[in-house]
Amino acid sequence: MKEKVLVAMSGGVDSSVTLLRIIEMGYEAIGITMKLWEYKNFGGNNLQENNCCAVSSINKAKLVCERMGVPHYTIDFTGSFKENVVDNFVDEYLSGRTPNPCVRCNSFIKWDTFIEQAEILGAKYIATGHYAQIDEKNGDYFIKQGVDERKDQSYVLWGIPKETLSKTILPLGGLTKEEVREIARKHKLETAEEPESMEICFIADNNYKRFINEYAPDKVAKIKNGKTLDEKGEKLGSNDGYINYTVGQRKGIGLTNPNPLYVKEINPKNNSIVVGEKSSLFKDICKVKELNWLIETPNFPYETHCQIRYNGRKAEGTISVEENEYVVNFKDPQLAVTPGQSIVFYNNKTLCGGGIIKLYE
Amino acid sequence: MNKQLYFDIAATTPMDIAVAEIIHKANIENYGNPSSMHMSGQKSHNIVERSRTSIAQILNCKTSEIIFTSGGSESNNIVLKGILKKGDHLITSSYEHPSVLNLAKHLEQNGVEVTFIKPLKNGSISAEQVKSEIKSNTKLISIMYVNNELGTINPISEIGDIASENEILFHSDTVQFIGKEKLDLSKINIDFATICAHKFYGPKGVGGLYCKSGIILNPLIDGGGQENGLRAGTENISSILGMAKALEISNDTLLDNKKKILELENYFIGLLENSNIQYRLNGVNRLKGIMNLTFFGVEGHGLLMNLDMQGIAISYGSACSSGSANAPQALIEMGMDENEARCSVRISIGKMIEKDDIKQLFETICNIISRIKK
Repeated sequence: MKEKVLVAMSGGVDSSVTLLRIIEMGYEAIGITMKLWEYKNFGGNNLQENNCCAVSSINKAKLVCERMGVPHYTIDFTGSFKENVVDNFVDEYLSGRTPNPCVRCNSFIKWDTFIEQAEILGAKYIATGHYAQIDEKNGDYFIKQGVDERKDQSYVLWGIPKETLSKTILPLGGLTKEEVREIARKHKLETAEEPESMEICFIADNNYKRFINEYAPDKVAKIKNGKTLDEKGEKLGSNDGYINYTVGQRKGIGLTNPNPLYVKEINPKNNSIVVGEKSSLFKDICKVKELNWLIETPNFPYETHCQIRYNGRKAEGTISVEENEYVVNFKDPQLAVTPGQSIVFYNNKTLCGGGIIKLYE
Repeated sequence: MNKQLYFDIAATTPMDIAVAEIIHKANIENYGNPSSMHMSGQKSHNIVERSRTSIAQILNCKTSEIIFTSGGSESNNIVLKGILKKGDHLITSSYEHPSVLNLAKHLEQNGVEVTFIKPLKNGSISAEQVKSEIKSNTKLISIMYVNNELGTINPISEIGDIASENEILFHSDTVQFIGKEKLDLSKINIDFATICAHKFYGPKGVGGLYCKSGIILNPLIDGGGQENGLRAGTENISSILGMAKALEISNDTLLDNKKKILELENYFIGLLENSNIQYRLNGVNRLKGIMNLTFFGVEGHGLLMNLDMQGIAISYGSACSSGSANAPQALIEMGMDENEARCSVRISIGKMIEKDDIKQLFETICNIISRIKK
């Protein structure tokens, strides 16, 4: 009998080709779409076609599954997603940090849920359309970056439980996005021309400020106009509240200066933002919390390559332990090391692990 | 895959072959517009009127009291929207079909006062509960006859009497009852009853509304004045004919089907009873053939998916357009713990089911439960 594989279907081109590859690999596939969000409750352009979780996307997933003779089911996880991802996303912004909800979703919802559903369905493996690869050496499983450097999604996978790697198949890791589209076109999949998905799946118009305003109006209303300070603490002007800024932001600061000014720090406690010239935004140190290793936990200090934002460049750094906290020293100072974002560690192409950036004070 | 076994007749029924044939024939032959003066139009008109009379005779009401609609949801909408104005009070239940429940919530936002009565632990609404909620501005009571998730029967006759004594209009969504039991409208104090063809082996997209003569409703759809001005639009002739045929067949075979379904249900429960599966049949006074079952420690969604992959269709929870489902709302409304509600599924038995099918269902459930039970 063929082994069963649960394929995570979003209704996009990537997951459709994932399903195709799984069938070609000789497995018996079951398509599952996780419904994580109800757009109509929280505004934005919810008629946009590329919202996964929207009915039109789920319909496409069903069409692709039917075409390939595969059963498809939708599972409602809106409660868990709201609690674990969306509430956290809003709280992080309210705390002056810049969260990465995709990481949190993969770490706390997707993988565990899919593995659990796979067990219920008698499936041995799960498969997703992430552009990353699973590698095995002497019975140990690793994540490697995807072949398509522009599409590599290993950055958002650092938090998944290590024990799930042996049960995970990532069939797109060896392909480029163009190749994936070509395969979809060749097989005339309904999703072949689906546009790229949005940055934050639950914010239909990608406008996180509007979203937070609608999601937590009471909390946002408490944040009045704030102060804009320079690096010495001198007031340069006022702003419409720290919630509207992220570290590294240049536009919308509302000050004139011979050299452009950037947001350097966000302080919810006194509702202020600190701005400075680009050169002042470089830091050579940060702390890391919520660390997860996808290799055997290394000995510290540990020299590695660090990536501090999605699609960012890797930088050499050393992880060490100071007073029970993890600290990363970068070899070269890094621009806009942003609290709340993920710092992900690589050894060549291997994803070693990652964590959440904390300010080093 | 094995033969498809369908245990979801509370969602919809397969169409009777005889109904499908009569619809097919009418689609080809009776294309005239019932409003046209020519022979072809007259023929279509007469098909619609003969269907109306047939349905009225079976339900024991006047021909003019039957209005054709697109189905249960539309009929429910015609009544609630046609009757209730700002400031009026509606008494309904918290486990109505979404076409009443969501509509009532919507009307509430527009100034209609609404009381949502929660079902008792036995899965029914009592007449006393309804009576105690009556106010001076109560305009309409809308309580379903049979709950679609539980199969429990509500005391429609008593509720109708209470409504009548208090001069309040009474509507019942009777879609789960009609065709499975005999509905005699002359014996109940009722002003509106909702009819839905695909619940009794008829076509989808067609239904009806019993509207007691003398009551004036505002139409939802204005236009050419069809259906006595209450529902404009060219009649769906073949489907109306199909609905009448389906109701005739249901009526003619009612006793045999009831007996068969009762035996099948008892057989299934007997098999469960003699197994080591921990289960509970929810709801007390139930229409036979609709069973809401809690299988302790077995997530309903998982059971559904596993059964489906083996060619057996059952139902879990309140379905929504995306095909996902939440825990069965009716169970939560009757006070069931959410974890138990999550472990509950609906198995509904139709007339096409045979004893061997029940045995196969039972054995498949046993195998799945032994593998996935927590």
